[in-house]
Amino acid sequence: MKPYFPSWSLVAFAALVAYPLFPALEHHFFHLTNRSLGVELPGLFLFAILALALNVVVGYTGLLHLGIAGFFGIGAYVVGILTAPLNPFEMNFWLALLIAIAVTTFIGLLLGTPALRLSGDYLALVTLGFGEVVRFTIKNIPAVTEGTKGISPLPPPVFPGVTVDWNTDYRPFYYLALSVLLITFYLLYRLERSKLGRAWVAIREDELAAKCMGLNTSRLKLAAFSVAAGIAGLAGGIYASKMTSTVGPEAFDFNKSIFVLCCLILGGLGSRNGVLLGVFILYGFDYILSPIIDGFLQSSGLGQGKIWQQFSGWRLIVFGLVLIIVMRVRPQGLLPNNRVKDEMQHVQLPATV
Amino acid sequence: MPIRILPLLSIIVLLGIGFVIPMPANVGKPDVIRIVSSLPRTGSARGQTDTIVAGIRLALHEIDYKIQLGDKTYRIEYLDLDDANAAAGQWTAENEISNAVLANRDPDVMVYIGTYNSGAARISMPILNKAGMLMISPANTAPELTKPGAGARCEPMCYRPNGEVNYVRVVPTDDLQGALAAEWAQDLGAKKVYILDDNETYGQGVANLFEAHARSIGLEILGHESIDLKAAEFSALMTKIKLRNPDLIFFGGTTQTKASQVLKDMVKAGMDKCKFMAPDGCHEETMITQTGADIVVPGRFYTTFGGLTTDRLSVGAGKVFVDKYTELYGKPPSEAYAVYGYECGRVAIEAMRKAGKKDRRAILEAGRSIKDFDGAAGVKWSFDENGDTTLQMMTGSTVQMVKEDGKEVPHLRWSKDLQPRTTTK
Amino acid sequence: MQILFAAIDTNALTQYLINGLSYGMLIALVALGYTMVYGIVELINFAHGDLFMLGGFLGLTIVTTTISLTGASVIGNVPMTAGILLLAFILVPIFCGFLNVGVDRIIYKPLRKAPRLAPLVSAIGVSFIFQNFGLFWGGPQDVDFPKLISNTNLLGESSSIRFTYQDLLVVGVTIPLMIALTLFVRVTPLGKAMRATAQNPTAAQLMGINTERVIATTFLIGGALAGFGSMIYGLTINTVHYQMGFLVGLYAFTAAVLGGIGNIPGAVLGGLLIGLVRSLGSAYVGERWTGALIFTMLIVVLVFRPSGLLGSRVREKV
Repeated sequence: MKPYFPSWSLVAFAALVAYPLFPALEHHFFHLTNRSLGVELPGLFLFAILALALNVVVGYTGLLHLGIAGFFGIGAYVVGILTAPLNPFEMNFWLALLIAIAVTTFIGLLLGTPALRLSGDYLALVTLGFGEVVRFTIKNIPAVTEGTKGISPLPPPVFPGVTVDWNTDYRPFYYLALSVLLITFYLLYRLERSKLGRAWVAIREDELAAKCMGLNTSRLKLAAFSVAAGIAGLAGGIYASKMTSTVGPEAFDFNKSIFVLCCLILGGLGSRNGVLLGVFILYGFDYILSPIIDGFLQSSGLGQGKIWQQFSGWRLIVFGLVLIIVMRVRPQGLLPNNRVKDEMQHVQLPATV
Repeated sequence: MPIRILPLLSIIVLLGIGFVIPMPANVGKPDVIRIVSSLPRTGSARGQTDTIVAGIRLALHEIDYKIQLGDKTYRIEYLDLDDANAAAGQWTAENEISNAVLANRDPDVMVYIGTYNSGAARISMPILNKAGMLMISPANTAPELTKPGAGARCEPMCYRPNGEVNYVRVVPTDDLQGALAAEWAQDLGAKKVYILDDNETYGQGVANLFEAHARSIGLEILGHESIDLKAAEFSALMTKIKLRNPDLIFFGGTTQTKASQVLKDMVKAGMDKCKFMAPDGCHEETMITQTGADIVVPGRFYTTFGGLTTDRLSVGAGKVFVDKYTELYGKPPSEAYAVYGYECGRVAIEAMRKAGKKDRRAILEAGRSIKDFDGAAGVKWSFDENGDTTLQMMTGSTVQMVKEDGKEVPHLRWSKDLQPRTTTK
Repeated sequence: MQILFAAIDTNALTQYLINGLSYGMLIALVALGYTMVYGIVELINFAHGDLFMLGGFLGLTIVTTTISLTGASVIGNVPMTAGILLLAFILVPIFCGFLNVGVDRIIYKPLRKAPRLAPLVSAIGVSFIFQNFGLFWGGPQDVDFPKLISNTNLLGESSSIRFTYQDLLVVGVTIPLMIALTLFVRVTPLGKAMRATAQNPTAAQLMGINTERVIATTFLIGGALAGFGSMIYGLTINTVHYQMGFLVGLYAFTAAVLGGIGNIPGAVLGGLLIGLVRSLGSAYVGERWTGALIFTMLIVVLVFRPSGLLGSRVREKV
């Protein structure tokens, strides 16, 4: 029997599970860098869930989806609306999270229906347009969403047995996000090997052939869309609770969708481990490495004034170079899925009819 | 299945490292007090926050970064944290949470100066409230952060999970600014007003308050609309407004949220007689450079500011501050918020002095009960029971041509002090 | 009530149409670059909007340095203004065109035979790099672009309809460019080669067409059009910003897809539609909803005409 995960990802997971058990590590890191890994990592985990969601559509099924942040936002706002003390519902977080998943899955289905008629790049644009419509809608119906303010504050989840304060102690959210990530990871592993998962890959490889083999490609694509939407909604719901706020429409814009896509591409499309690695590198760069280096630059008296003197000012150049170099040198990503690797390295002849 | 030695080994090593590293006691440095500020240091608000930080540093520089509490002298370390990141170009919830948690966990941090954006304050206020730390904002003007009844059902109590006030601000809130702006608009001769806002917390807030007061003093409101921040131009919108023929357009927003584009398109649509008024988010010289000297001519652009602007300070009791600032940095403050940065620094120092010991609880209580404080503007003020300043000064500024190197250059200059009318209904 | 008030005013409607078409032409100009490149190499050139942005900054730099070098006042000085404009209108398109060709040579060319996603992702990467340079060039805030073109109403200041010199500039530059482009593609041998390559690159190559040269020409023309677009943008909207390419690029891309990507008249039609929806939406629905309206229109159009308004050619690659 082969192990569920390649062992290196097991090590990574073990290290992440164990990290909060050793407060000394956290303490030293904090004192060295003025940043807390424990606070930043849950955000990374949630982002990883979002990336795994996008991977279902882009990685497995091979459809370009540029609006995943929209679903992330809808999830966040559903949880926000249902749990905030501003509103009359004041629902239990877990129930609200379930509703968020149901709502996003349904909207994913709705978006998928017209998208079925479209191919390739047109589909990409429709998803992009969808993401923007979500952002505008959140912004423009303040009676429901509080407009650009974001709904805040949101109460933390209630979990039997956990008495610590969720806002000042990082550990509850750390373990919540990590366990949801692990569960998603495992479920996707099962899904990949199920009939559905294999059918998705068949569509990616050759849609016409898949159709000829009797697969109902429309229904399969729809399933991919709604599964991705549901997972993104799950991540969004937890995100809102962690931020104690739905933050605002700008947190769910096109840039976020593109950022998730970059993580996928860097790590390896269709490869769960790769996606996690991609998120770790890019999210880590933005939210952990950049602030730390900028902090050092600032305290050493450099990095004042002009934007190019700040480390984070070079962020887009770094991202851009990473994408270009990866595509040239290793288009299958850093940790590729074996099947994708074969496809990407296979030199295609110019497409013919 | 082959045994994978390397991964197994690394698990053992990791566990080992975890056990071997000793846990230091979390007591901090006994002779250091830290003050942190959390402001957007990346992105377009940088110019404003640069001067706020300079103001804070000036206050700390005056006491040579040392403070005597009881019989002990502490060194003050100041940490200038960023609540924005390059990815977003503005404040983000992630960064603000990190900053608040950082301040909370570091036992040497006694005072948290921030935030710049009211939205960010919503996120860090509950965390710092639980930590019992004094939070002083130099720039948040949204009334609902402190004033009961100004916002939604649970505000402001939901920002205070402990039930006590830990958040104070040295800047007057928008309910005053919106009202005074409306009265000033009337004084300028406006009868018909069109209101625009940027659809953001701050801008929309001021615009709504402006609208409410303008109605009550009898101005005719022709319309109120939000713009889309990402739009490049507003010529169609301005065409529509031109049909209603307003005397004045009030724009609730900031220089970063397209104020200059709205003004440009107003003139472009042919409304060159119409006046344009904006709140303190547009009170910066950048507004003039971004819009261009040919558009920002005298008699067209008006802006209000909560408190006294730099040039108003220099002709009054606040000259001391401007002189000190100029001496340390070689030039007078370029943006008006500098004085509030300075005020925050001084309030933090005063709170620590009054408390007399390095203790968050004592400093918090001393800070929020500050009364009759000698403000940098030369006026005494106190914190009221909500943590708001009793300072009720507003300045109206407009554009004047100033001779500079033989050329006439437009600059924002103080026009009048705005006082609430005594005979409103 | 407000809506009715505006709806009965035909003068206002005319004005909205002028505003909308003027903005729409600008979008169309950028959309042409998207659609041409797509037609030839099937690449959604995400960097196109940011190329446009860099053009805007170059234009700004040219204009401001010439003004400060000569030290003269340009307001009302017609020969001086014309000279500066001529210089900028020559240099900026050249810069954008050759930058576009350079990027194609260095980054997209080696990926010609790679799967579709590879050049697309590289284009996103190029877009990031361009934006970062734009950030260094112009800083994070809006930058004023000198108002060289007068805003005087050509119909007389008392007229209730405004058609200004700025609107004239948009029309006067865009329409000749579009005609020239159409003629180029229809009539010249290179244009013919371009159409052949778009139809079937392999067959075109077999017929002795140097497809690489065709591709380079396409990138050159597309980039130059973006350069013209950026100058017009600067001169009529008067603000440049390092992220301005995002919105313009997004609208242009939308315009290209609306019209049927790869289709030149389609891109123009799409651009004009977007301009009109933005202008009329702002007038009759509400300024803050215009963005949502444009994308809703896109989704609706694509649902009913999956290959765009004028895109009859549905070619599934197998």
